[in-house]
Amino acid sequence: MGGKCPSRKVKKRRYSHKTARRNKFLVKGDDAVYEELQKGDSENKPLPRDEDLPGMGQYYCLHCDRYFANVTVRDEHYKTKRHKKRLKQMSGPAPHTQLDAELAAGMGMPDNGPTLMSM
Amino acid sequence: MRLEKCWFCSSTVYPGHGIQFVRNDAKIFRFCRSKCHKNFKMKRNPRKVKWTKAYRRLHGKDMTQDSTFEFERKRNRPERYDRNIAENTLKAIKKIAKIRSDRSSDHIKNRLKTGKIQRQKEARKQLEQDIHLVKAPLALAQDSSLRLPKIKVNVSQTQTEENQQMEE
Repeated sequence: MGGKCPSRKVKKRRYSHKTARRNKFLVKGDDAVYEELQKGDSENKPLPRDEDLPGMGQYYCLHCDRYFANVTVRDEHYKTKRHKKRLKQMSGPAPHTQLDAELAAGMGMPDNGPTLMSM
Repeated sequence: MRLEKCWFCSSTVYPGHGIQFVRNDAKIFRFCRSKCHKNFKMKRNPRKVKWTKAYRRLHGKDMTQDSTFEFERKRNRPERYDRNIAENTLKAIKKIAKIRSDRSSDHIKNRLKTGKIQRQKEARKQLEQDIHLVKAPLALAQDSSLRLPKIKVNVSQTQTEENQQMEE
């Protein structure tokens, strides 16, 4: 959030406010965003109208999980360094998951038994 | 009793240890100790943190492909208890663990071999290039005992002498 931080003291002050801290938990995790991107590319359905969100929830950045007030602000956001960084991160390998952790620990793939219904 | 693996460092989480975080999309993250939990909260990527298993796997530090990895799995189906099978499994666990540790130590040994060859090669090159720091080039040319044995073997004596005269 924001640009370059001038000092540690300023950073502390900036994140001391409740809204800033709340934001941390409302933002989607990396893996959730990645999943959304993997499946959501083909379908282009209109975003649901939500009065509580900025711009009625119509201007949304999927990569950064952020809502904007209007098109110009969103397009401005697309030009920022932070968005580009995020874009690069999301186009890379899939984020770490529990399955990765288990494979790294020397476990095999999970055994779910035989499939009961043939698709 | 199910022994879970830590999300961050892939170590085993025994009952009564560690902490669990359930995100608002009902995804569960288990951590073996506060170190791993803190690293997760800092949004660090386990693939980029050197002490995690995920990093070691990815960078070829540990063995990745092995038949012993097929035994320990997350089994999402009930198994009917059989006393004989349980007994045999308990016996096999020790044997498999031994085989696995032997193989992983072999893997590390093989991995270190290439480094040794590389270091020897570099040392040889340095000796060739920086011998003038130890002995002046002129003195070196006159004293044949200081020259590398490699040159002596490969190149005939007359040729090297000619080269020396040219340099002088």
